Amino acid sequence: MKWIDIKAGFKDFWNEFKNVKFGLFGLILLFIFILAVFLNPYIVPFPEASSRWRDITYWEDNPVSAPPVWVNWFSSTKRAPSLIIREHTFSEEKMRKMKLTRTIFEYEYSYDLPPLDVIFHGYAKGSPVIMLNIERPDGRIVELVRRPISKSDGKIVRISIAKDTRIESYNFGAKYESPEQNRIIREMVKPTSILFSEAKEGILVHPTPLKGAYKIIAEIILPSETDVVEDVYLSLSGSVSGWLGTDNSKRDIWSGVVAGVKWALLIGLLTAFTAVSIGVIYGVMSAYLGGWRDSLMQRIFELFVGIPLLPVLIVMSAIFKPSIWILIIMMSCFFWVGPVKTVRSMGLQIKEETYIEAARALGSSSSRIIFKHMVPLLIPYSFASMALYVPSAIVYEASISLLGLGDSTIVTWGQILHDALTGGAVINGLWWWVIPPGLFIALMGMTFAFIGFAMDKILHPKLRTR
Amino acid sequence: MISEPILKVENLKEWFPVRRTIAQILKGERTWIKAVDGITFSINQGEIFGLVGESGCGKTTTGKLIMKLLEPSEGKIIFKGKDVTHLEADKLKEYRRNVQMVFQDPYASINPRFRAQDVLEEPLIIHQMGETRAEREKIIRRALEEVRLIPPEEFMERFPHMLSGGQRQRVATARTLVLSPSMIVADEPVSMIDLSTRAEILHMMKTVQRELGLTYLYVTHDLSTARYFTDRIAVMYLGKIVEMGGADEIIDNAFHPYTKALIAAVCEPIPGKSNTIKEVPIKGEIPSAANIPSGCRFHPRCLYVKPQCQEDEPILKEIDLGHQVACHLIS
Amino acid sequence: MADTNDILKVENLKINFFTRKGKVYAVDDVSFSLKKGETLGLVGESGCGKTTTVLGLMKMIPPPGKITGGRILIKGEDIIPLSEDEMREKIRWEKISMVFQGAMNCLTPVYTIGKQMMETVQEHKEMEYLQAKKRIINYLNLVGLPEDIIRRYPHELSGGMKQRVVIATALFLEPEIVICDEPTTALDVVVQAQIINLIKRLKKKLGLSVIFITHDLATEAEVADRLLVMYAGKLVEIGTNEQIYGKRGPIHPYTEKLLKATPRLHEKVEELSFIPGTPPDLVDPPSGCRFHPRCLEVMEKCKKDIPSLIEVEPGHWIACWRNTND
Ligand SMILES: Nc1ncnc2c1ncn2[C@@H]1O[C@H](COP(=O)(O)OP(=O)(O)OP(=O)(O)O)[C@@H](O)[C@H]1O
Ligand SMILES: Nc1ncnc2c1ncn2[C@@H]1O[C@H](COP(=O)(O)OP(=O)(O)OP(=O)(O)O)[C@@H](O)[C@H]1O
Ligand SMILES: [Mg+2]
Ligand SMILES: [Mg+2]
Repeated sequence: MKWIDIKAGFKDFWNEFKNVKFGLFGLILLFIFILAVFLNPYIVPFPEASSRWRDITYWEDNPVSAPPVWVNWFSSTKRAPSLIIREHTFSEEKMRKMKLTRTIFEYEYSYDLPPLDVIFHGYAKGSPVIMLNIERPDGRIVELVRRPISKSDGKIVRISIAKDTRIESYNFGAKYESPEQNRIIREMVKPTSILFSEAKEGILVHPTPLKGAYKIIAEIILPSETDVVEDVYLSLSGSVSGWLGTDNSKRDIWSGVVAGVKWALLIGLLTAFTAVSIGVIYGVMSAYLGGWRDSLMQRIFELFVGIPLLPVLIVMSAIFKPSIWILIIMMSCFFWVGPVKTVRSMGLQIKEETYIEAARALGSSSSRIIFKHMVPLLIPYSFASMALYVPSAIVYEASISLLGLGDSTIVTWGQILHDALTGGAVINGLWWWVIPPGLFIALMGMTFAFIGFAMDKILHPKLRTR
Repeated sequence: MISEPILKVENLKEWFPVRRTIAQILKGERTWIKAVDGITFSINQGEIFGLVGESGCGKTTTGKLIMKLLEPSEGKIIFKGKDVTHLEADKLKEYRRNVQMVFQDPYASINPRFRAQDVLEEPLIIHQMGETRAEREKIIRRALEEVRLIPPEEFMERFPHMLSGGQRQRVATARTLVLSPSMIVADEPVSMIDLSTRAEILHMMKTVQRELGLTYLYVTHDLSTARYFTDRIAVMYLGKIVEMGGADEIIDNAFHPYTKALIAAVCEPIPGKSNTIKEVPIKGEIPSAANIPSGCRFHPRCLYVKPQCQEDEPILKEIDLGHQVACHLIS
Repeated sequence: MADTNDILKVENLKINFFTRKGKVYAVDDVSFSLKKGETLGLVGESGCGKTTTVLGLMKMIPPPGKITGGRILIKGEDIIPLSEDEMREKIRWEKISMVFQGAMNCLTPVYTIGKQMMETVQEHKEMEYLQAKKRIINYLNLVGLPEDIIRRYPHELSGGMKQRVVIATALFLEPEIVICDEPTTALDVVVQAQIINLIKRLKKKLGLSVIFITHDLATEAEVADRLLVMYAGKLVEIGTNEQIYGKRGPIHPYTEKLLKATPRLHEKVEELSFIPGTPPDLVDPPSGCRFHPRCLEVMEKCKKDIPSLIEVEPGHWIACWRNTND
């Protein structure tokens, strides 16, 4: 019966909630956010973004400051997106003890701007020698590198064309370039733009893209039988990358922003929950106890109201090692004042109810009356105001992070924004770095504001009429 | 019915301070709402004692004073021979096991979020009665049967909004009964209840009283139910008792002009009165408790007022066996 | 029931509330008439549809309620087809007015009595300020209030005084029919007697026809010339004061029980009788006679067929199968 009643109550609430359009919209947004948290590994290319945000090795295959892939849709110059090529053809030749393997990756290049880098990955055991060549659609084969691997029980091999083939690429390009242009400094050469361009004059300075099927060939000499190179794949750092581009430390913004959802929800909900719980209990106690206790509690409350939150937070974050938990606790310490006034006035009203007096007549203690009779009545209000505090908490955390005082072990939207500002995103026009975190903060704020207002609208008249 | 008084109230007063204006604070004036202004009575073991009077005369305040929901400004309350006027927390809890209250409005006196079972379990938990849940449930079931909510199972799971006013008042009565108190203060327990059920509730309360040997303080403004329900009646006017005696005696041989007016004002289901104007021997309206007239506080409304009435306050005098009146008309 | 003296005639009035729980049969097939200069009492338990019936007469049913059938004739004119504007201009307050249930507690605390009365007046009739004020004072005097009341605020008045103010407001446009919905329920016995006397005096003086609603049969005995007894949205008995309260007494088992449950001051009874059970939910009223689940004399027929009002003696109508057989 009880359960049925709760169900019925919820159904009633839902029926009303359904009619508040913006509330429904907020709920849909919240649902999407929650879905994003749970589906995180499936919707982002870098699921460990949250824990390895500051680990450069995690991001090293990405291009630097690349715009999002969808800029291609709006631009006439098509840029090559990031790509990982695992498919390859494999052949093997045995020469007594030695083995020669040939791994061919195929890449269909049909863009106007080449990828920034092509990186060969593998896991090598023993002391193999790896040679990378590229076969272009015009039939020319460029020998890129020959890299002997020092003997080991197994290590990751990473060969970056952009870094490791400067000279070879330059030499290839220089063959076709007119001599006066040849003076271009070798260090300024981008290997990929030479390799993916037509072999004609201007290849170094004004390259024309050569579209077609490229083959990247890895020839590996395995000197002994136990030697092996496995898990080979090719990753291309595109000149556009990911849904939201990358920042100047090669980090994928989309992965970062999605990883931030979890933290924003945690910060927002936990802070709002703690703060509102404290505030509600404080307010009810103040109302119920009355007399000098009420006066004292109100003075303390006013004291807290008088303290400006942001400066205190900044000072505290600067003093303490800012961890997300400390931040949540600190914010709760100031946010609790929010609901106190309303709750106290509601409490004063509830206190006058006859059933409170009846409970007193039965011999109930004050705490029993407060927690059994008064607080449950305030739960709807609490939920509504919690929803309204979530955005504030998120914005405050963002502000702290924006000042560089955030928790450095996680990634939050505020921190992305902070990095963007210090990284000169605005000056360099890296809009994809600034807008998404800002937008997500606003969106999350809106979500809870909508839900909160809708709940407020429904629950408030109920409380009055009961 | 001669037996020990279970409750004695002596010169009990409850004065509420009136919020003062700045001028009054500066002048050091204080005004009071004298809700209860010196009442003395005693209730015998097993008796139903009625407290009757107009709205605002201090009936509920008296009930709450006895319930110890209010601290008296003056006077004494003696329960079973012990002075209970001022009690510490643990003594108070024990006192409340013995004295319980049924409130006027059954729609307001039960927490709307509690099922009947939770309502009845609350006093048991507070007073640590019944070790296990099953044991408590047994007590609850018995209490529900006592108030004729049968079968109890059907009502235990219900929330107040699933109960009618009468059923709620039964639950409220059952809530007091689980503690097996010796006295119950019933503050207008039927005034908010539909008339068809009113008699049923009173009947139930009376049966329970007889079965368990309870004592009731029955607060009401309705003389006709008081006559049916009570053994003795005290008539209150502006915080003072003006007449007290056996229920039949008070109604059949009322002496005080106020009591007479109250009796005359009662509507009765007798034919042929729709064309006549009923004379009620009283003038004007009840004054505010903040501004009590001098002398006999009833004198501005009395039809038989004498010069003496404006100066001296009459005291209760016995005019017949157990029939006391406070009026200067007693020669 | 036809009579040329009838100032108000209600025929087969049906009012339903269309709620989420279903259709509430609040007033179901109610017919009665009101003679000129008569006081008609309407009694019944809480929720039986008394207020809804009279709100129907004013065509002021709050949504989700609707009049779904019947006719309401005021001096022979059916008011059901009238538009809201016509009602406001011609009927409401001018011909039929009402003292609403609990109206005395609904006076706005921030305005003086005079201002509130003036507003009500000007909403319904164009009148010069001074003239209106003069009339307000007139009517206040008529209900026994001094004229300085108009400068006072509601909280400065006692319940009885507030009720008088509300009655004066209802009388202001000189209606012929005044409905009083539980005007005495929240008041003390003494004040209650005063208000009843006031209504009786006004009725005589102004020649009003009054519908007086209460749930207390004892009060009704003091005011009503004729009585309508309502149960669960239906009229179960109509009779004159003498017929209901006289020797023979009521005939319908419900009225009979109700009267027995009413305590009498001057009779010491050992046991009051009562009606077991509670009134039904009007979303799903019982089949047949709506009283049958609580009736001690229930017959098979009562469970199936709905009894209609039958005149058992002149002016005394009963809807009960028990009385139609013998
Ligand atoms: N807490 C309070 N503070 C100030 N005045 C109070 C308080 N409680 C009651 N009063 C006043 O004391 C007087 C007596 O009130 P009380 O409630 O005892 O009357 P009552 O006889 O029970 O009336 P009713 O029949 O309306 O319930 C009233 O004038 C009331 O306004
Ligand atoms: N606005 C509404 N919506 C739905 N149902 C309503 C509404 N108003 C009244 N009802 C239902 O109509 C029925 C009759 O109500 P009504 O107010 O007329 O009763 P009443 O006899 O005047 O009762 P009371 O003595 O409590 O004033 C009740 O069952 C009530 O629940
Ligand atoms: Mg009271
Ligand atoms: Mg009503």
